[in-house]
Amino acid sequence: MKFKYIWFFIALMCTAASFGQIKVTGSVKDKGAVPIPGVNIVVKGTATTAATDFDGNFSISVPNKNAQIEFSFVGFSNKTILVGDKTSFDVVLEESSQALDEIVVVGYAAVKKSDVTSSISSIKGKELQTMTVGNVAESLQGKVSGVQVTGQGGPGAQPRVLIRGISTVNLSTDPLYVVDGIPMGTSINFLSNNEIESMEVLKDASASAIYGSRASNGVILITTKKGKVGKTRFNFDTSSGMQIMNNPYNMADAVGYATIMNKAYNNSGYADYLPNPSQYRGKTTDWWKAGIRGGAPVVNASLGVSGGSEKHTYAISMNYYDAESIYEVGGWERITLRIANDFKFSDKFSAGITLNPRYETYGQPGNWADFDKIDPITPIYKPADQLTGDENEYSIYARSPSYVWNPVAAVKRYDDYTDQYNLNTNGYLQYAPIKGLVIRTQASIEVGDKVRSRFRPDFIIDAAHEKEEINKVERWATTNVDWTWQNTVTYSRTFAEKHNASLMVGNTMEEYNGNDVWGYGEGVPNNSDLMREVNAATKNRDSKGNSWSSSLMSYISRFSYNYDNKYYFTGTFRRDGSSKFMTNNKWANFPSASVSWRIMNEGFMESTKDVLSDLRFRAGWGKVGNQGLPTAVYQSNIGQGFYPIGDVIGDTSFPDSMANKDIKWETVEDMSFGIDFGLWKNKLSGSLEYYRKKTEDMLFLKQFPAYSGFPSNATIWTNVGSMQSSGIDLLISYKDKKGDFTYGADVTFTTVDVEMLSLSSDSEKLYGAANRTLTVKGEEPGYFYGYVADGLFQNQTELNSHTDEHGTKLQPYAKEGDVRFKDVNGDGKLDDKDRTKIGSPWADYNIGLNLNFAYKQFDLVANFYSSIGNDIVNTNISDLYNGASLTNKVAGLDQMAWHGEGTSNSVPRLSKDDNNENYTKFSSLYVEDGSYVRMKNLQLGFSFYNKFGLDKLRISLSGQNLWTWTKYTGVDPEVAGGDPNQGDAVKGSGFGGWNYPVQPTILMGLNVAF
Amino acid sequence: MKKNIFLFFLALFAVLFTGCQNNESGFPSSDDPTVVVSTKEIYGAPSRKFEIKAALADDLGLKSVQIQIPELSLDKVITFATSPLLETYDLSYFFEIPANRGTSEAFKIKLIITDVSGNVVNEEINLRLDGEFSAPSISMVTPKEGAVILLSTSNEMPVNFVVNDDSGIDYVQVKCEALGIDEMVQLTGAPQSYTFNKTYTLPVTAANYVLTVTAKDKFAIPNTGSLNINIVATNEYPAIYLCDQPKGTNLTTDAVGVPMYFHEKNGQDFEFKYYADKDNKEIYFLGQEADFAPHCFGLNAAGGLVDDVASTPIILPTKGYYNIKVNPNTLAYTVTKYTPSSKVWADVANGLWHDDEALRRPFVSVCGGGIQGADWDTWTAWTQTGLHLANNPNNPYQLVGEYTLTGQMEATFTGQWWNPSWRLIKNGICTMSPGENGNAKYPAAPGVYKVVLDTELERVFITKK
Repeated sequence: MKFKYIWFFIALMCTAASFGQIKVTGSVKDKGAVPIPGVNIVVKGTATTAATDFDGNFSISVPNKNAQIEFSFVGFSNKTILVGDKTSFDVVLEESSQALDEIVVVGYAAVKKSDVTSSISSIKGKELQTMTVGNVAESLQGKVSGVQVTGQGGPGAQPRVLIRGISTVNLSTDPLYVVDGIPMGTSINFLSNNEIESMEVLKDASASAIYGSRASNGVILITTKKGKVGKTRFNFDTSSGMQIMNNPYNMADAVGYATIMNKAYNNSGYADYLPNPSQYRGKTTDWWKAGIRGGAPVVNASLGVSGGSEKHTYAISMNYYDAESIYEVGGWERITLRIANDFKFSDKFSAGITLNPRYETYGQPGNWADFDKIDPITPIYKPADQLTGDENEYSIYARSPSYVWNPVAAVKRYDDYTDQYNLNTNGYLQYAPIKGLVIRTQASIEVGDKVRSRFRPDFIIDAAHEKEEINKVERWATTNVDWTWQNTVTYSRTFAEKHNASLMVGNTMEEYNGNDVWGYGEGVPNNSDLMREVNAATKNRDSKGNSWSSSLMSYISRFSYNYDNKYYFTGTFRRDGSSKFMTNNKWANFPSASVSWRIMNEGFMESTKDVLSDLRFRAGWGKVGNQGLPTAVYQSNIGQGFYPIGDVIGDTSFPDSMANKDIKWETVEDMSFGIDFGLWKNKLSGSLEYYRKKTEDMLFLKQFPAYSGFPSNATIWTNVGSMQSSGIDLLISYKDKKGDFTYGADVTFTTVDVEMLSLSSDSEKLYGAANRTLTVKGEEPGYFYGYVADGLFQNQTELNSHTDEHGTKLQPYAKEGDVRFKDVNGDGKLDDKDRTKIGSPWADYNIGLNLNFAYKQFDLVANFYSSIGNDIVNTNISDLYNGASLTNKVAGLDQMAWHGEGTSNSVPRLSKDDNNENYTKFSSLYVEDGSYVRMKNLQLGFSFYNKFGLDKLRISLSGQNLWTWTKYTGVDPEVAGGDPNQGDAVKGSGFGGWNYPVQPTILMGLNVAF
Repeated sequence: MKKNIFLFFLALFAVLFTGCQNNESGFPSSDDPTVVVSTKEIYGAPSRKFEIKAALADDLGLKSVQIQIPELSLDKVITFATSPLLETYDLSYFFEIPANRGTSEAFKIKLIITDVSGNVVNEEINLRLDGEFSAPSISMVTPKEGAVILLSTSNEMPVNFVVNDDSGIDYVQVKCEALGIDEMVQLTGAPQSYTFNKTYTLPVTAANYVLTVTAKDKFAIPNTGSLNINIVATNEYPAIYLCDQPKGTNLTTDAVGVPMYFHEKNGQDFEFKYYADKDNKEIYFLGQEADFAPHCFGLNAAGGLVDDVASTPIILPTKGYYNIKVNPNTLAYTVTKYTPSSKVWADVANGLWHDDEALRRPFVSVCGGGIQGADWDTWTAWTQTGLHLANNPNNPYQLVGEYTLTGQMEATFTGQWWNPSWRLIKNGICTMSPGENGNAKYPAAPGVYKVVLDTELERVFITKK
């Protein structure tokens, strides 16, 4: 009986409570009107909770009108609403890039941002998608502190990415890219920015050591888009526009060219080269217009569909990118498909598979400089009276006396294209047998086939100078099959409420296999497109082929611990075994450790919380490696050659390279200290870090000493020398909202100071870029090394005083208007010993400024990037100003060059002979301030939400690289490294010649979601 | 109070600023520097260097010396190191007077010597441009360099030369220690021209002599010129040369090959191989290389061979290769035409250098010195197509070209990879490799020369165009 009463009262109470409750319903969407399933909904001050369903809808009961409902979801700022008289709400959550519970991908795991103890910068895919670029790394420019990105113009060009400076002189400086957990090498040209969900830059060794022997240049982790629980969503994103190619120089017309050349000849005591320049009036050949397009179209488009249920999510995207070249032929086209499926079979089993087929085709002439360099008097085509009628279609062009091959003809002949086909399959299986324990296995296979076909037609433009007497056809086919398999076991647990620990152990295996074959032939019966096959060649057929393989096996582990979310420790350990090294050094260990103190969670900081939202100190240490040397350097190689004895040519072989069985990795030891802070509810936030990377056992390709008996060109890889990079990364971010107006600004600041600590001997001098750079102990690598140009001789008195103490002229061939080279060592002679440091290719600092504004449906993004304090060698100076060559010169050079006292102190007099070696001596005449500030992107968008039957429609207008401020007079101040095939990737940095410029681009964009 | 603080800081900064000023001197006071010039008057001339010499000294340390001739655009400052301080300095500064100045002009050279204490001393030197610096010119009439005196004919050596000098001749001296000749002619009145003519008697034994002729002028700073003449007194000819130039031709204007050195010698039997490039080619035999005198072998009126400068040439009737034998003692000679059987190198000439090896055609170029565009780098020889020799269309055994010589020359004519190659050794012999070693150096006046490499004769002829 008693129970009956009890049940009665309970029922009564419940009924009363029910009668007092208000049912609130609605939906939760993001700013793009995309429903968000799984949003956590809490009635503040009660235990009542709910979550949004598959379509983002919710329903929850609140006790009264004064109740407050809080909505929270990972990656979004919390939102609280007062119920009041309304019972239905459409809630819009805004994404928060600073949210501390945001998930950040680290190597082989993902952790909350607040738990990260090392130096990792995270950037959302959306931020990368504001720019239309072929290589998404270019979008990183200025957005991440500590990362220096140098753009490279041209379709398919890969920008140089340096993470915290350089740690090697002879090997690649590119970071390792890891896509969805799979190492993909040092290029991400294959990836569309529309495929990217987020990008994490592992900047210090404590973050990247888990990637061991390939992490010395930093690691960039890329997570591609995956399906989310919810209804099927379609997204179409496209931008298209024009890349503008303006002539960087105002070249002389025919009359001007004749005047300039005559002056050069006359100044050297010769008669006019082109007498009576006025006869050329109206006869200028506009080569630029004839062969270079002012605008080249670029298109980036993506169509995606995603969605799924609790059991299965999917995301499919098809991406297309096409950048046409500035010539009438060539460009770069990429089509990729990404099909991602994730399955949740039960609470314990899950799996996923991503297929990524890709196709790229590219190729374009590279002779745009010739359109400026060829003389403006030569016509494009031979005059009719010089044609015999027997010429083929490639022989009707005129030959220039300037020795520049007719560029229009060269473009017409161009036939050198590469088609690339790849399929990447990446799958995983995950099992969580008990709470906190996750066992995961992941495998990936990448199959690629690259086919390059080249045909060089026969032609005779000039029988002595410009011809190909027989046509040639070639084809290269390269196939690669790479696979990766990685297994991890992770156990995470919280002990005694405050001890949070996680341990991951695992192993990985990778193998990279490739082979190629090359076929060659000459004498194809004609130049018809249909005949351009090796089979059609009738003479000199040749072929060769090879195969290669390398592999890496590793054991990995990570231990993370924090106490009460205040004191954090993370330690990682990786042991790598590489096929590139012999038994002595096949295995190497790469440990790291990092700690952080989240001081903000200390009780004594409670009083500061009105101002300070977050404060954390970090310190990290680790060792990483660089194994990026050629495969099989531990082998000795025999070279082949020949020598003549009388009329007989004898074959010979000789030691070409010697094995070094003790060769091992370059090792980089890295330590960093940082502070992260947030103020006023994270309106103002940022981080400041100091780092120092020290490279030991650097890999150098050395020649043998003469006494060894080896030929002078025999080489051996060896571990000698060390270097150090240090600097500061700073990120300051501010964001706020006033009514409908939201705004934000990020400033990134990066400094890098590089120094060679030791070489194989204290006095060793490593030259680069054809002896124009020097690398020595105690200095930065690859500084510009040459003579000091101390202005121009303005008068005879200055010439006469440039002597030694006995009156011997230091420059006996100099005349007024010639360059005065400085006797740096004061020994009264001008010789090799007077070469000195005349500039540095390395920037003092880089600054990025990223602004964003939104007002109602309008949004505006502006990105700026600058490089300050670096120098550039403007190698075009000789082409443009040197009267010794017959190439065209800049307009008005006859007045620009020195032609009397005080007329110029920087452009030497015109001279046919250049006896003073104004241009042949590498001097500071070529070195210019390479600092620049560039507006990378300016984009204005307008969005419609829930209009026209669409969830979202956004149109945008943007301009990229529209404005650049620089004192550099060359083509483009974005100048990267030299030729890696010459070992000049670092030692040849900062040489700007006719580098393909980063082009201004105007784009229209359309984004539709439904 | 604020004012006091302001004044305090103002004073502090003033003191600090003053303290940071670079004290220009930084050295204690000292005596003026001293300067002793080697001469107060310097003679110069247009296009000629002169030397400014002076001894500078300072009791504390020299800082700089400035040399000024404003009219000649000279304003040179020599700055001395101050660590350690330099107390003495011997100034020796050369300066070339511009070519466009007149010989009647005169200037002041100003020396400004400053010591580290800031003391300044000026010194002036007169510079006159009417200086005469040419040594007297000695023009030998006889004997010429390399002259051969055939003792069996005569043991007398006539010495005849003319001396000229603008400022007047002081004396002329003829010396030959081996012959005991030391004859000085002191001239009075400083004539601008003087002719020496005297005959000396030689011992009848064969010997080589060096005759030294010296002449000194009467300029304030006298100039002396001298000339060494090598003379061979012999009972037989060491060499006989074949000359195909008309008499009176200056035989020293070629670089190599004229007249042509013999091919074989057996006692006084000399044998030549020779190519007559046209019918009725006229030749002589010479006993010396540089001149037609004293021994010129031609024909007399009777058609016999005579050693007579007035003789008439031997005529080779038709174009082609000849084997010619001559004995200067017996005055016998034979001329036999022959057809060469050596390899014709036509396939290596008219070649083509091309970056693409497959497109190259064999060629013969040159490596060497004193040839414009050439050096000892074979790459240069390959790529400088102007150095490539062409076939002589009239003679397949000859490769011809045109080089600009810049001075003393040496050469090896070469195909690609030194295959084939002909090394130019002494006496114009161009031996095909492998042959004799040692490239010979030939003096040559700068200019454009015709080059003929005769692979049959293994001789090269480089003659002024």
